[in-house]
Amino acid sequence: MTAFRALVRKELATLFASPLAYLALTLVMLVTALIFFDHLRIYNQILFLYSSNTMGGFESDTIPDHINVRDSVFFPVLETLGITLIALIPVLTMRVFAEERARGTDELLLTTHLSPSQIVAAKFLVTYGFVLLMMAGSFVYPAMATVEGGIGLEHLLAVFMGLSLHALGLASLGLVCSAFSSSQLMAAVASWAAGFVLWDFAWAGAFVGERTGRVLDLLSMHQRYGSFSEGLVSLEHIAYFAGLGLLCAALARFSFDLRRVAG
Amino acid sequence: MTANARKGVRVEADALTRRFGDNIALDGVSLTITPGEAFGLLGANGAGKTTFIRCLTGVLLPSGGDIRVDGFSALSAPAEVRARVGFVAETSRLYPELRVSSFLRFAAGARGLSGPARKQAVARAIERFSLGDVAKRLVGHLSKGFQQRVSLAQAFVADPPLVIVDEPTSGLDPLQQEEVQTLLRSLRGERTLLLCTHDLGEARALSDRVAVLACGRLIAVGASHEVLGGADPLALFRAGAGA
Repeated sequence: MTAFRALVRKELATLFASPLAYLALTLVMLVTALIFFDHLRIYNQILFLYSSNTMGGFESDTIPDHINVRDSVFFPVLETLGITLIALIPVLTMRVFAEERARGTDELLLTTHLSPSQIVAAKFLVTYGFVLLMMAGSFVYPAMATVEGGIGLEHLLAVFMGLSLHALGLASLGLVCSAFSSSQLMAAVASWAAGFVLWDFAWAGAFVGERTGRVLDLLSMHQRYGSFSEGLVSLEHIAYFAGLGLLCAALARFSFDLRRVAG
Repeated sequence: MTANARKGVRVEADALTRRFGDNIALDGVSLTITPGEAFGLLGANGAGKTTFIRCLTGVLLPSGGDIRVDGFSALSAPAEVRARVGFVAETSRLYPELRVSSFLRFAAGARGLSGPARKQAVARAIERFSLGDVAKRLVGHLSKGFQQRVSLAQAFVADPPLVIVDEPTSGLDPLQQEEVQTLLRSLRGERTLLLCTHDLGEARALSDRVAVLACGRLIAVGASHEVLGGADPLALFRAGAGA
């Protein structure tokens, strides 16, 4: 455990020594703010239209039920944030293993007391921790919807859980792509591709059989993420993201064995 | 130096073979390095030296044969082997974004040292490799000579009984080469030292015995003054290239 702790500390020091960590935190908060205020602006414009004199004024009942903070701001922000994370997370994960390989420091790690499993576990742990920090920061604006948007605390927690699991799933994909490459760019491109493909398989249903379509649908992140957004916490969806994380960690661990055999 | 390192460990390669597809990088290499010996592994570029070291450290799996450190096989007991090895890689494989002291703390921790033992080990390494003036500086801001000192310090920090040094002076200017060679000379006799180089002068100065690899095959092994003491030691390399 001493060696594992030393690696975790080193990973944290390496992460926060580079501007990438601060850039990623700033970028996520900035993007979330932009998305939030853009949807809020549109919502306000719609409200303004409905409350104008020609529509009967604000006191009239002309504002439809679906024009509210929850449906016009909260859900669209989460939907856009989910897609934005597919683009952002790989920038964070691309260096984790690929940089070690490119520098040759992976061999240095492998000649210490650290086993490949410990190396993978430490890198996943630190990345997951940082992703959760990013999500906590980015959640400030959506959380504002609890004040005026009629979202309860339980619902908000379910949404945060969904957003975090989605981000962790993407981080797992990014980490496994980084583990199989010594090029950070290749790792990022591969994880972007994997993230976008896994986000929503529904479109593929039109080209494959019904049975295959159902399987592809089961693999999609989108519907599971959407379920959390609606405040539904399902064990099946949690298991999906946990399984994805475990599968990616196992594959990352396998990359070490592969390299030991193939060179 | 602790009791752990004093005697060094035995290294035994037994018909060690490693293939990369059709290319044979190591072809049935058998040799023994005795405890406490400074052993030079010589050969031209591509002779198989680095592959030998990577098999020894467990980074690569041999295609055939075995290699043992202190009786533990790198194939079946890699953790036991890793626990006995300090490794200085060919180029300075370091973390440029870390400070020297942080990097050495990590290196000691990754080799199982914690608390006061780790603190003492780091202080000892800093003193031994004269890194006191640069301990708070970023590794990436150091000269190549100092980076190589840091690399040596991380390998010695936990006082392992076997230290493997791959091309220690590669890419250094003559003054830095002299510095590193002086450091390595001072470390002889304390533990088993495996020095991998293509510099004949370096091998002669730092090794008790040497082995010469050519095209993955062992073509000579013996006392360094015998193997490299002839009128034309380069003949070995030429013979190997023609093999």
